[in-house]
Amino acid sequence: MVELGIVDIREIIRIIKKTHDIDFSVFALTSFKYNLEKVMNLNTIHSTDGLIRKLTEDPDFLDLFLNDLFTPSTEMFRDPSLWRWLREEYFPKLPERHFDNFKIWFPQNVSGAELFTMCILLQEIDLLQKVKIYATVYSNKSLEYIKSGSYPLKKLEVSIENYKRFQGSEDFEKYYTMKNHEAIRDTSLISNVEFIKDNINLNKTLQNVKLIMYRNVMIYLNPSRQNEMLDKMQSCLSAAGNLIIGTKEVTRTSNASALKFDIVNEGEGVYKKKI
Amino acid sequence: MNFKAVIIGGSAGSFQVVTRILSSLPNNFPVPVLLCLHRLKHVRSGFVEALSLKSSIPIEEPNDKEQLKPGKAYLAPANYHMFVELANRIALSTESSVNHSRPSIDLSFITAANAYRDKLLGIILSGANRDGAAGLKAVKDKGGITIVQDPNECEVKTMTESAMQLTKVDYVYKTDEIIRFLSKIK
Repeated sequence: MVELGIVDIREIIRIIKKTHDIDFSVFALTSFKYNLEKVMNLNTIHSTDGLIRKLTEDPDFLDLFLNDLFTPSTEMFRDPSLWRWLREEYFPKLPERHFDNFKIWFPQNVSGAELFTMCILLQEIDLLQKVKIYATVYSNKSLEYIKSGSYPLKKLEVSIENYKRFQGSEDFEKYYTMKNHEAIRDTSLISNVEFIKDNINLNKTLQNVKLIMYRNVMIYLNPSRQNEMLDKMQSCLSAAGNLIIGTKEVTRTSNASALKFDIVNEGEGVYKKKI
Repeated sequence: MNFKAVIIGGSAGSFQVVTRILSSLPNNFPVPVLLCLHRLKHVRSGFVEALSLKSSIPIEEPNDKEQLKPGKAYLAPANYHMFVELANRIALSTESSVNHSRPSIDLSFITAANAYRDKLLGIILSGANRDGAAGLKAVKDKGGITIVQDPNECEVKTMTESAMQLTKVDYVYKTDEIIRFLSKIK
C-alpha cells in the first residue's frame, strides 16, 4: 500500500496543473490523498515518481486517472426517502407547463448510479419521455462504463434493498440482467440521456435547468471551491429551479453561497434557487 | 496529558459503553470527541438522539467541512465515512464500504492520526468485526496513545482482540478505567 505525504501530493497537483492544466488544489486534501492512493494501488504504481511518469508520459493514462480518481455515487436509490419524496411530492406537484422544457442535469457521473435511479423513478411515473436529461462525465472510461450498464454485484445487492425501501412499483430484477457473474443494467433506461464530456471546471454548463442532481460531489472539494460550484449551479438553474445535494453536504454557516438558495426539504438536501 | 482529540470506535455491544463514557465526561471537556460507531446505513435519525440522552456534552452528526470544537462529540453520520481534514475540520466521504462498513472506523482513525499525530487518543470498544484494527495501528504509528476495552468486559471481543493482535496497545482498560483516564485530560 502506498502512503503519500503532503509534499508528494502538492508535487502531483503541480505536475497535473502544468502538464494537463487541471487544478486539483481545489479538492479537500484528505479525501484527495485517499483517492490518489486508491488510483495508485489500482494501477500498481508504487511511488510518486511512478505516478508522475505515467501522468506525463502515457497519453492514455489521464482518462483512466480521471475515472478512477472520482468516487462513484454509492449505490442506486441511496437515501430511498429522497426518491420517494421526488415521486410523491416533487414531480406530482409540478405544473404541466413545466414539462414543455424540463431539463434535469447530473453535473458529475462516474458509475451512473444516480442517473439510472432517476431514470427508473421517471419511468415508473411515466415522465421519462417528457423530460430531457443531461449527464456530464470527465472521462471516456466513465462514459463507456455507464453506457455499458455494467454494475458490481455488491452494489447491486444494496441497490435492491434500497429499492425495496423506495417501494418502487416494479420488481427490481426488471432493470438488470446477469451476465458472467456481473449485473448489466437495462441501458434502454438511459437511451435518451445526453452525455456531455467536460473537465472538472465544468465549462460546458447548461441554462434554464429545472433540476440539478449534485449529491455528494462537493464533499470532495475545499470550501472555497464548494462556494464556486454552488454559484455555478445557481447560474444554471431556471427561476426557482431545484438543486439536490447530499444530506450532510454544505452548511449555510460555512458556505456563503448556500444562502443564495431557499430550503425546500433540508433533511433530503433539496434547495431552490432564490428568485 | 496533552491531546488535541479523542477518537472512539465501536460496534456490536459498544452502545452502553459509549453512553457511560459520554455521561461521565465533564461538560467542559477540553478536546473534541470523534465517535465512529457501526450503524445501519439506511437509518439516518435516532442514533444521535439516543446517545444524547445521558451525555454530558453535546453530540452532533457533523456536516461536511464542519469545524471541530472542544467539548463536543461528533458522531459519524449514517452511510458516510467521516474523515478528519487538516485544520481541524471534518470531511465526509461516500467511498465504498471498508470491512463492510460505512462509516469505517479504520478510515476515521487513519485520517485522525494523520491530522493529530501524537496528540490523538484512540479507543476501540466492543465489536464483532476487524474494523478499527488498522486504524488503531495508525494512531500508534503516528505516536498517539491507544486504548482498547478489556476483551473480558466486551460483549463481543472480536474488534478489541483484532486491534491487540495488530498493535501493541498502550492500555487495556475496563470502562471505568477508560473513564478515569479521560478525566485526566487537561
